[in-house]
Amino acid sequence: MEEFEQELRQAFERRPAPSSLKHRLMERRHARQPGNSVFHWQRLAAATLLTAALGGGVVLHQREEQREGEAARQQVLTALRITSHALNHMNTQLAAHGRAQR
Amino acid sequence: MAHDWQPDFEQLVDEHQSMVFSLAWRMTGDRGLAEEIAQDVFLELDRHLGKIESAAHACFWLRRVAMSRSADALRRRVVRGLDLWVEMEEHHGISVVERASPLGARLEQLLATLPESQRAVLVLRYQEDLTPEEIAATLQAPVATVKSNLQRGLKLLRVKAADHLKEYIRQKEYVRGV
Repeated sequence: MEEFEQELRQAFERRPAPSSLKHRLMERRHARQPGNSVFHWQRLAAATLLTAALGGGVVLHQREEQREGEAARQQVLTALRITSHALNHMNTQLAAHGRAQR
Repeated sequence: MAHDWQPDFEQLVDEHQSMVFSLAWRMTGDRGLAEEIAQDVFLELDRHLGKIESAAHACFWLRRVAMSRSADALRRRVVRGLDLWVEMEEHHGISVVERASPLGARLEQLLATLPESQRAVLVLRYQEDLTPEEIAATLQAPVATVKSNLQRGLKLLRVKAADHLKEYIRQKEYVRGV
């Protein structure tokens, strides 16, 4: 068994790690550190742009709603004015007709 | 107890990358996966560097996490035993037969065919030269279990190696005869 175990020790010697291992490891480590990643800044910029776009959209939507509301109010007022004018006119004609009959 | 030891991450990588990589490679039988595991283990060490108290603690920690991550990786993928090593030679151009003795070369291949628990104790025993008690601490297993796996693994590997040697000698004699 001694000889076999000796054979095992020789067979199971540590293998040298690939030269790329440390390089890739350091790259991953560097990328993980806050503030060091280009990707981090890209994500931040994208998030800012998205927030600005969404905020702008909400403001535009609100203004559009206000404008439409104002237009509708003006239309109702115009309709009321026209109706009032028509009623007045009708009233005047009825009064004149009544006077003529008497 | 306060410790004066100041860990240097790069130095720890230089010192232990061969150990971590070899453990992962022998446990998974896959060189690419072993490199990935080794990177993950060191990145994990980087996160826990503040808790490492000494150089010996760093070495123990790396061994333990390397074994644990390799076991996790094994559970995630199907291990195909000997075929894995054949594939490894084809894909990475590495000859595992470049050894002084034919038995030594074959032993690494035969190791991949053993059950995971036996492979783990054999690697820690003969690659890292750990005692059964140290292996038990690394694998967080009872010493009796480690000793049992060690005996069984050794016996199985010996039988497989003997079969291989007989075959090897037969082939040599056949070649000489031809």
